[in-house]
Amino acid sequence: MTFLRVNQLKVHYPVRGGFFRKVIGHVKAVDGISFELKKGETYGLVGESGCGKTTTGRTIIGLVKATAGEILFDGKDLTKLSRREFVQYRKDIQMIFQDPYSSLNPRKRVLDIVAEPLRNFEKLSPQEEKRKVQGLIEKVGLHSDSVYKYPHEFSGGQRQRIGIARALTLNPKLIIADEPVSALDVSVQAQVLNFMKDIQKEFQLTYLFISHDLGIIRHMCDRIGIMYRGQFVEEGTKDEIFHDPKHIYTKRLLASIPNADPLRRQEQQKLRQQIEKDYEQLYSRYFDAEGRVYPLKRISETHSVAIP
Amino acid sequence: MKKTEYSPFSVLWREVVKDKLALSSLLLLSLILFIVYGASIVLDQEEIVKVDLLSIYSPPSAEHWLGTDYGGRDILGQLIIGARNSFTIGLAITLLTGLIGLTIGLIAGYFGGVIDNIIMRIIDFILILPFLMLVIVFVAIVPKYNVFTFILIMSAFLWTGKARLIRAKVLAERELDYVSASKTLGTPDWKIIVREILPNLSSIIIVNLTLNLAGNIGIESGLSYLGFGLPESTPSLGTLVSYATNPDVLQNKWWVWLPASVLILVMMLCINFIGQALKRAADARQRLG
Repeated sequence: MTFLRVNQLKVHYPVRGGFFRKVIGHVKAVDGISFELKKGETYGLVGESGCGKTTTGRTIIGLVKATAGEILFDGKDLTKLSRREFVQYRKDIQMIFQDPYSSLNPRKRVLDIVAEPLRNFEKLSPQEEKRKVQGLIEKVGLHSDSVYKYPHEFSGGQRQRIGIARALTLNPKLIIADEPVSALDVSVQAQVLNFMKDIQKEFQLTYLFISHDLGIIRHMCDRIGIMYRGQFVEEGTKDEIFHDPKHIYTKRLLASIPNADPLRRQEQQKLRQQIEKDYEQLYSRYFDAEGRVYPLKRISETHSVAIP
Repeated sequence: MKKTEYSPFSVLWREVVKDKLALSSLLLLSLILFIVYGASIVLDQEEIVKVDLLSIYSPPSAEHWLGTDYGGRDILGQLIIGARNSFTIGLAITLLTGLIGLTIGLIAGYFGGVIDNIIMRIIDFILILPFLMLVIVFVAIVPKYNVFTFILIMSAFLWTGKARLIRAKVLAERELDYVSASKTLGTPDWKIIVREILPNLSSIIIVNLTLNLAGNIGIESGLSYLGFGLPESTPSLGTLVSYATNPDVLQNKWWVWLPASVLILVMMLCINFIGQALKRAADARQRLG
């Protein structure tokens, strides 16, 4: 059974202008995307900045209202629920935020930050609460005494792990990770990513992993969806996307990954130039008159591409 | 282990201590307030405002340290009771406007949209009303006019500035991820407002209220001077200064108006210096300490 199904999701923002502030157009942040998540897998949403991947994540967790479409979670449409009903599903969906600096309230101790969801959903005595928080903090690799510290006493990687501990507090089923490591330096990135993989096994988590970094996506994800201007360009398993990309946009994106081997630098550059030439020549085959991509077409069991 | 945590209050305190002008202002102000509130417990207001025809306009002497006014009333007694009244009024207006402004500013800023729009239009409406004229009209029509009604009338107009300031700060604060995080963790809105956003505004609130306190004492004195403040039976610093509208008093009987004027000046300056130091503490780039 599918775990989370997003169906023709649209998030449009009205653009107002003129004397009477009439709606003169829409910014189509997310424009009709559909995808499915299976239990226990990691699904990667990739795209350039501003393509709507973060908006998609925030809509699923309810921070942004969907304009149209449905989000089916365990068979229930989240977009139709009132705020009060949504609260029950809060426990099952949690989010890891991009910026570990602004996502922790500087005025609260780690104990209060991590215990916040517990205080909302579970009535625990202060001792039980503290024990649970200390357990979580140790699980993310920090010392249990850190619960009495404030966020500014930690490094970026440690802060992000506090954010992860907070997301794990309620034993969620789905975690939306919105560029969880893009604010961290490379050595810490690997540490946090591997940790996320470990807890995925331990807690049977499903990740919706949002990132623009293809290297990280390749490391983390089972299936990948490439977004461009609020729409899906290509969707498939990791192998399909990385070894058999069909859409010119995906090819350009993959060609932009730098090659660490200096001997093959020439080769890489030639490939990049070749793809750039293809892109200019074949532009009209892949994009319509407005510069948008065509609807997705299924070319194999798991692989879909937006070609006419 | 080195203590690295600085609460906002300790930062404010350090800044005041570091700034010698602010520290001496704080000491002087505490001394004045201690004397004023201490002495006003002992003094009897009825006794002081009682007219004594035998000692009209008597200059400073052993019996009346600061002389008497045109009713033969002791200036020193009036000064102390007046300072107490003026400061109490200023403080009460500041706290009341702070409370109203904070509540409304937090609500408008946090919820935004239609709620914000309605509240801001109401504030705009209150702001364009001719404040001073309306206060004067109220003073004329309110039958029982005392310290309490005065505070209420002033507060009804002065909360708007605070509400605007707080709203602007909340608008910036609510976009930060920790507010989104609290929402995704299922924290109700009122809890996010009170527990998450409010503590992050504490320093700006303290600074603004302190600077406003000086202004509010001034407003009371100004209105009393114009004759629309408190009645003569309730002495205030403004009433004492307003005796100087009589040219004879202004020229020849300095002891009637000078002490009150100096006291207003000293108190407002002290509060302002403290406020400036707190303001610097709230902005990390300007800190001395």
